[in-house]
Amino acid sequence: MMTHTLTWLLLVPLLGSLFILIMPKQNEGAIKGASLLIMLGEFLLSLRLLWADYSTAGYRFVEQVTWVESLGISYKLGVDGLSLWLVLLTTALTPVALYASWGGVTTRIKEYAFSFLMLELGMLGAFVALDLFLFYVFWELMLVPMYLIIGIWGGKDRVYAALKFFIYTFVGSLLMLVAILYIVNTYEAIAGYYTFDLEKLTTLVLPAVPQYLLFGAFAVAFAIKVPMFPFHTWLPDAHVQAPTGGSIVLAAVLLKLGIYGFIRFAMPLFPVASQVIGPVLAGLGVLGIIYGAYAAWVQRDLKKLVAYSSVSHMGFILLGLFAMNRHGVSGAILQMINHGVSTGALFLLVGVIYDRRHSRMLDDFGGLAKVMPWYATVFVIVTMSSIGLPGTNGFVGEFMILAGSFFSRGTVGFGNTWFVMTLFAATGVIFAAVYMLHAVLRMFWGKVTHEENEGLSDLNRRETIALIPLVALVFWIGLYPKFFLDKMNPSVDAFITDFSVRYQESRGVSNPRIVGLQAIDPTDGGAYAWADDKGDER
Amino acid sequence: MHEEPTQQLSLLLIILFPLAGAAINGLFGRRMPKGLVSFLGVGAVAVSFVLAILSFISLFGMRSDGVHEAALTYQFYEWFSLKMPSGAEVPINVRFLMDSLSGVMTLVVTGIGGLIHLYSVGYMSEDDGYARFFAYLNLFTASMLILVLGSSLPVMFVGWEGVGLCSYLLIGFWYENREYAAAGRKAFVANRVGDFGVLIGMFILVGVAGSFEFADINDVALSGGFEDGFPAWPFAAVPSLATVACLFLFLGCTGKSAQIPLYVWLPDAMAGPTPVSALIHAATMVTAGVYLCCRLSPLFISSDVAMAVIAVTGTLTALLAATIAVTQHEMKKILAYSTVSQLGFMFAAVGVGFFAAGFFHVFTHAFFKACLFLGAGSVMHSVHAHGDADIYKLGGLKKYMPITRITFLFSCLAIAGFPFSSGFFSKDEILLGAAAQAFRDDDPLMVGVGWFTLIGLTLGAIMTGFYMFRLYFLTFTGEYRSAEGSGDGHGYDAHPHESPPSMSIPLIVLGVGALIVGFLGIPHIAPGFGWHLDDYSWWGHWMEASVAGHELPEDLFVINLASGLALMAMLIGIGAAWVLYRNKSTDPIAEKAPKRVYQFIFDKWRVDEFYQAVIINPIKSVATVIGRSDLTFVDALLTRLPSLNARGLGQILARFQNGVVQTYGMVVVVGVAAVMAMFWMPRAQVEGQLERGNLQLVASPGLGYEYRWDANSDGNFDGAWSTERVYSPTYDAGDVRETVLYVRSPRTGASHHFELTEEWEVLPLDSLDPRWRRAKNTLPVAARLHEGGVQLRLNGAKKFGASDSPELLDLTMGRGTAVENLLVVPRQKIVATVEVRNAFGNVATASRNMILPDGYLPQPHAALVGEKEAQP
Repeated sequence: MMTHTLTWLLLVPLLGSLFILIMPKQNEGAIKGASLLIMLGEFLLSLRLLWADYSTAGYRFVEQVTWVESLGISYKLGVDGLSLWLVLLTTALTPVALYASWGGVTTRIKEYAFSFLMLELGMLGAFVALDLFLFYVFWELMLVPMYLIIGIWGGKDRVYAALKFFIYTFVGSLLMLVAILYIVNTYEAIAGYYTFDLEKLTTLVLPAVPQYLLFGAFAVAFAIKVPMFPFHTWLPDAHVQAPTGGSIVLAAVLLKLGIYGFIRFAMPLFPVASQVIGPVLAGLGVLGIIYGAYAAWVQRDLKKLVAYSSVSHMGFILLGLFAMNRHGVSGAILQMINHGVSTGALFLLVGVIYDRRHSRMLDDFGGLAKVMPWYATVFVIVTMSSIGLPGTNGFVGEFMILAGSFFSRGTVGFGNTWFVMTLFAATGVIFAAVYMLHAVLRMFWGKVTHEENEGLSDLNRRETIALIPLVALVFWIGLYPKFFLDKMNPSVDAFITDFSVRYQESRGVSNPRIVGLQAIDPTDGGAYAWADDKGDER
Repeated sequence: MHEEPTQQLSLLLIILFPLAGAAINGLFGRRMPKGLVSFLGVGAVAVSFVLAILSFISLFGMRSDGVHEAALTYQFYEWFSLKMPSGAEVPINVRFLMDSLSGVMTLVVTGIGGLIHLYSVGYMSEDDGYARFFAYLNLFTASMLILVLGSSLPVMFVGWEGVGLCSYLLIGFWYENREYAAAGRKAFVANRVGDFGVLIGMFILVGVAGSFEFADINDVALSGGFEDGFPAWPFAAVPSLATVACLFLFLGCTGKSAQIPLYVWLPDAMAGPTPVSALIHAATMVTAGVYLCCRLSPLFISSDVAMAVIAVTGTLTALLAATIAVTQHEMKKILAYSTVSQLGFMFAAVGVGFFAAGFFHVFTHAFFKACLFLGAGSVMHSVHAHGDADIYKLGGLKKYMPITRITFLFSCLAIAGFPFSSGFFSKDEILLGAAAQAFRDDDPLMVGVGWFTLIGLTLGAIMTGFYMFRLYFLTFTGEYRSAEGSGDGHGYDAHPHESPPSMSIPLIVLGVGALIVGFLGIPHIAPGFGWHLDDYSWWGHWMEASVAGHELPEDLFVINLASGLALMAMLIGIGAAWVLYRNKSTDPIAEKAPKRVYQFIFDKWRVDEFYQAVIINPIKSVATVIGRSDLTFVDALLTRLPSLNARGLGQILARFQNGVVQTYGMVVVVGVAAVMAMFWMPRAQVEGQLERGNLQLVASPGLGYEYRWDANSDGNFDGAWSTERVYSPTYDAGDVRETVLYVRSPRTGASHHFELTEEWEVLPLDSLDPRWRRAKNTLPVAARLHEGGVQLRLNGAKKFGASDSPELLDLTMGRGTAVENLLVVPRQKIVATVEVRNAFGNVATASRNMILPDGYLPQPHAALVGEKEAQP
């Protein structure tokens, strides 16, 4: 078992979901218990990934089996410092989300648990796949259960939201599929065989124009997922309509796949385009930071407020990523974990109050601190993490990202776009305090103005158990982020070095070629390697 | 002295004790008896205080042993690190450091903070949130200690934002009052605006100094590392790096230490319980800004512009707040504006370059302001005033509360600068600093700033004496205006009483402290006749190790001027208050002054309203527009518009599905015709390929096609029509149509086939490799056909690996040669033709230029691939 950790990691939710399928429908308690146990087992299994040496870059736990030989499709998995924590975030947050769901989800328990396990399978698969075809399969696979979760167990306008989520994401994916096929085809034209292997495809060097187009196709797919301004409008709808568990997974993990896509695929494959378009995306990230914060401020629906705060936070991550230096990228990855933890916790907390009051409107609350003191305490802690108070996880991520953006192109100054972007992004720190404390003020402070709120019960055992790991992570990452950073930094360093090497290789190229391969250039009329020429001279 | 060999665990413990107290009281306090809560809450800070004293003593010992830059450190662990553009790792260590500056500050925080904790035991005894209060208070103390003891900017920033959080929680402590909670939020947001500045300032500092440690930054500042101009500055007058960094940091200071423009939160902070006000105003929080300036004094002093800005801001704040304090009615509000004003004094001192004097005022102010707030609290406790106490409903309290009264009086004397009280010494030194700048002869900017500060602060000092004694007289002298039978019945408790010992003991300690602690800073030259008391004031000597700053002047005139102004200001201020308010119950100023002006000042210059109108409302409007338009405009553009398009297209296509058979029949006919047309003419196309070393020509397939080949396109077909579409010809030298020169740049991967003639022609090699021209200062390489081969004229370019450069170079057909970094190969071109005939008897022709594989003539071995397609 230990030799195929990643395969088992995918098999457990798959087999688990099948097991859930054969369980009797009426036995809801057993289904709840079994699905949770499967996910906890999955989490323990994923901890195995920590027992590897990440002090150098490169993939660990690699498995490769040929799948469709003639098309070069293989079942290839691996993790490195870039994906390790995202995998663990997924295995850790999915059970929390499922467990938290049982407050609001009361019908079709079996189908719900099944969807969640399939969702986990899709997300994990996308994080560990090193073959573009396989990645695409998992990428689309997770769309379906999420669509079902929103569409079946969601709120009043669930069908609209689910459809919007599906179509929006799907359009992006299709563009990506076309781009993938183009790359594979180009590779074949030079190398003479098909492959979807990421490591091989990244040796393909493309001229500028196709790079821009292909990067554009990938970027649309990923930017929608992130979501980057202005492709974010599906998010508030999806979040507001999704059940608590769905919102948690959506915010905590699903959005991260967009950023992960940029890191793993779009940037290594198209370095020139990334270098040129990256700052534009970072600028849109900054715009998103401010735009999301403003939009969040005026929301009356708490869940929508949190949804827009996600837009703002994801803007930070984009900024850090395209700063393309160590603390920027490491900060972005760390901030993905942070956002997963804090926003996941926020959605959980929104779910807690919704389960009790069936309302999320800020106007319906006030003075809850008196009625639900522990709830208020946890809410304020998570708020502080979301705001980025030092000592909590949010600070470390934001600090690294802002430093990354600040030092992005070496020089500093008002003539430098990155400096100006950093200034604007840093104002996001202020606005985050404004909108989150606005929510806290409306929810918790003041007198209890609505009679219905007077008898509300504080956090129950289930909710407390679900929240404890999140709060623990808030402080763990906040106080000792080195534990997390040490495992990702070598990979991030290598990512940046590789990126600049590939960028140099593909600058000014007018014909596609493959690095390290004896190129058979169609217009060359025959291969001629440079090395041979030296031999001729002697 | 950056690395200290021994780890001083006590530094960590000083912080951990209050932190642990906060955690225990916060988590379990509600279920613990009050006694235990108080014991833990007060005890934790008391232990910290003892540890702080012990550490301070050992620090003192090191200084006595002659170690100049004595410091205790404790390296806890590495938090995280940044990798700078230079590639250097900059670690951010959780490291604590106690030197002469932070040592004093630690004593103040734990000592005065501890007294406030003790006081709270009595003051808060009947509050429901007793345990919560102590948890917050302990957390506040711990944050402040982190701020003070942190040896680097990020660690300091933890405490910096931590006190912001605690002030948010404590100001909004009585959260059931929504306005109080809103005041807490205001404090947090105003502080956040400042934190933004600190964050950016921090990045600039680390970018230059390559370290977050204060000591390293100060070293770089001392060696002039921040004197370069700020890069990429869009305007003509380029400020230095130090100026920009200091101004960003100072923005943070204005937030934390309540200066213009961010001071507005502090007066509202009165919403919290009174001990909180004492803690915020005296021992913690607001002093942080001054502390930061002192901590980075070598940096600040290296920027004249920033110093001038700080001095002017401080002076203006001192004046503005003092005018407001003169008009207010409520005890805590007056004290709050007094704090803002006194902080202005401290910043003015910093701005004129007398950091030690500014920090001395922090120190003395901590005593008298804590005492004043606790005294106000004692009054409110005794008359059962909630929130704040209106001084016009008080009066005559000296009868009822002798201890409170006498300690309050001590503190009022101290803050007004009564001779030999603590405030006398500290304020005198600030004025002396301003005067020293005013009488400089080298720097006109600082002279102007010096005069401005000197005059402004003198006016401020007059008002200080005035409003403090207005407060004192109206509260403690005359008749008690809330006594039974007096007033309108809306007064306070008719029977005021002295507070319990847990409250009065801190008052006594602080009141006595307010009188005497100033002697630590007795100047070395006394005003008047210029007696030399000592070589140095003790304070200045102690601070010198960790704080930079100008030398105090020796000029007796300057010294006398400053002291005279201070003394005069005190006398005018107290005297005026004596005349106007002693034993009085009305406010003559409010009655005599022009109504509008008075009301304007009473309304705090309407600054809050100004901010609301100019900053907050516009932002809120933008936010509202964004919030509304996001799901209408943006969403419409990106989702509804495409979906409408799709629907519209669907509707158009649906027209054709109308069930009318004639239409369907029409479509079928058109379709069949199109297919027929496609088959009518054959399609001709040639490809070249290599099959096991043999050249092959391949024609495109088609139903019923027949082919006829002319491999060398000489007009004679090589054979008859056949259905075989693959043909393997052999070529010889006679078939060659043209010789071309293939050039490729391995670096860029770009390549090109150049057509040649018998004449010399220059090869445009730049287009293949942009470096070609830049790297080689040679004449362009030219090529021509010569005797059936290709000849190059190198013009100084080198053949790869050869040391000399032959002028002419003959190339071998199909053989690669390296010229500099380019590969050149002469190649041969043939033209292949195919004729295709289909079943209808129609014929099409296709020709294609082909480049023979390298070395095909004479030995065939490589691929044959088409180059350009000729028209059929």
